[in-house]
Amino acid sequence: MLRITDLYKSFGNVRVLDGLDLHVPEHSIFGFIGKNGSGKTTTMKTVLGLLKADSGTVEVAGEKVVYGNSPTNRHVGYLPDVPEFYSFMTAPEYLRFCGEITGMTNTDIKKRSGELLELVGLSGERHRIGGFSRGMKQRLGIAQALINSPRLLICDEPTSALDPVGRKEILDILTSAREKTTVIFSTHILSDVERICTDVAFLKDGKAELQGNISDVKSRYGIDEYSIETDCGDTVRALLERFPAMTHIRGKLSFRESDVCVFDVLAYISEKRLPTAKIERCEPTLESLFMEAESK
Amino acid sequence: MKTLFSFIKKEFTEQVRSGKLWLLFIIFILFGIMNPAIAKLTPWLLETLSDSLAESGMTVTSVTVTALDSWVQFFKNIPMGLIVFIILESSIFTKEYASGTLLLSLTKGLERYKVVVSKAFVLSALWTVYYVICFGITYLYSAYFWDNSVAQNLVFSVVIRWLFGMFVISLTVLFSVVFKTNTSVLAAVGGCVAVSYLAGFLPKIKSFVPTYLTDGNSLIYGLSESGNYTVSLIITLLLTVACVCISIPLFNKKQL
Ligand SMILES: Nc1ncnc2c1ncn2[C@@H]1O[C@H](COP(=O)(O)OP(=O)(O)OP(=O)(O)O)[C@@H](O)[C@H]1O
Ligand SMILES: [Mg+2]
Repeated sequence: MLRITDLYKSFGNVRVLDGLDLHVPEHSIFGFIGKNGSGKTTTMKTVLGLLKADSGTVEVAGEKVVYGNSPTNRHVGYLPDVPEFYSFMTAPEYLRFCGEITGMTNTDIKKRSGELLELVGLSGERHRIGGFSRGMKQRLGIAQALINSPRLLICDEPTSALDPVGRKEILDILTSAREKTTVIFSTHILSDVERICTDVAFLKDGKAELQGNISDVKSRYGIDEYSIETDCGDTVRALLERFPAMTHIRGKLSFRESDVCVFDVLAYISEKRLPTAKIERCEPTLESLFMEAESK
Repeated sequence: MKTLFSFIKKEFTEQVRSGKLWLLFIIFILFGIMNPAIAKLTPWLLETLSDSLAESGMTVTSVTVTALDSWVQFFKNIPMGLIVFIILESSIFTKEYASGTLLLSLTKGLERYKVVVSKAFVLSALWTVYYVICFGITYLYSAYFWDNSVAQNLVFSVVIRWLFGMFVISLTVLFSVVFKTNTSVLAAVGGCVAVSYLAGFLPKIKSFVPTYLTDGNSLIYGLSESGNYTVSLIITLLLTVACVCISIPLFNKKQL
């Protein structure tokens, strides 16, 4: 749905994107992760034709994006990081305006904006947008991004201004949008990504690292961790003595498969008949993956 | 066409809800009333002041006021109206740059030229309406108190004065596309008008510059012929159209 090839972009002599390659498959929910200032917003603006890339190509639905008035934008809905609307309008008026400039028919606009206001929880709101809180603006932002039923929905940190309940609601909206739409969203909140994303990319030094399907990424780059729980102090002592690479925190021993072979541990436990409460293999979390990638 | 119309509608809504529309309406109506009122009150004013004026050595002869005095006031007040209009409206683009509201409209597929066309259209329409109101009020009062027929070339002088306003509006559009802030837009527009004004002092190019069109008094007193204004008129028209036309490709390239 979205393919970025070899994209370069500098501001002055600061190179923000340095040969970025990104592939977002259709009907995926794509988490775009990176530190502050890593270039997430820059990438998104380039996809929308709002920024001119130094070199490289961006394709939306197989069509090339051009700077300025990109015709590809008719497939795209965009929620900026800090959405700003005409403050003198009310939410329904703004949605009507958005519908009109995308060329929707009046009956479509009426139906769609009613649905969307309901969906984002702004249907009772009759005030002008000027008095909206940041969270309300973000909700309206999602509604306006979805008004023309886009094939690609680009959200720049859609949950950053929201309370936990609002965050869950928005994530649910993004999930439900997936049936008709490919969603790409940037965030710092890895638990959000873990919760709804099917695919991820981690932006670092202007390139995409650890890109692909979440479970692929985890199995490819993640190193399995094991933990052993016990209330018996002797077990802890014996294991630490035999396997010094293990770490011990509050009655819980953990080790990585790369450091200690799990079968050796199991054999040792059964040989010495050490009392243990639980032996568990822990799924690698995105957080641990990204911390590792970041520190590389 | 429908998208253009909805953007224009948005602009008008903004004018109404921000209160600018009413403010400018009141200002231009007041100017319209002031023009004949000041003319009407001049003799009375002079009379009440005549004692103190006489003390300072001036002798006051009785003055007869005609519609001409009212129109002189009109040509004196309309620049102030234009200045207020431009100051209030010069943020029509820059406000959207600063807040980023245009970004969303443009990513929705609104063509960029429609933004320029809509805003230029709204400014022109508003200027025309305010101008006609101010003119109409002055005309009716002047006709009621005196006789408008003493003012020669009245329609012509008023029309070219209006055109000068359109020229200033086109400059505002052009510089709004070039610059990002309100103050630079105002400075650039003011600079251009000042250059035209100063160039007007050079006898050789006096009658070519747009500010020449602001000389309504000579026309109504019959000191000047409408034919003298043809060159300046054509130049101003061309510049006005050119400013708007250049704005469009410049805006297409502009990074928002
Ligand atoms: N218009 C600009 N002019 C100069 N530098 C810019 C401009 N826009 C962005 N940058 C620089 O590009 C880098 C990437 O910015 P960008 O906004 O894309 O980061 P981001 O990943 O979205 O960050 P955040 O997580 O804080 O939103 C930053 O170092 C920023 O300073
Ligand atoms: Mg950002």
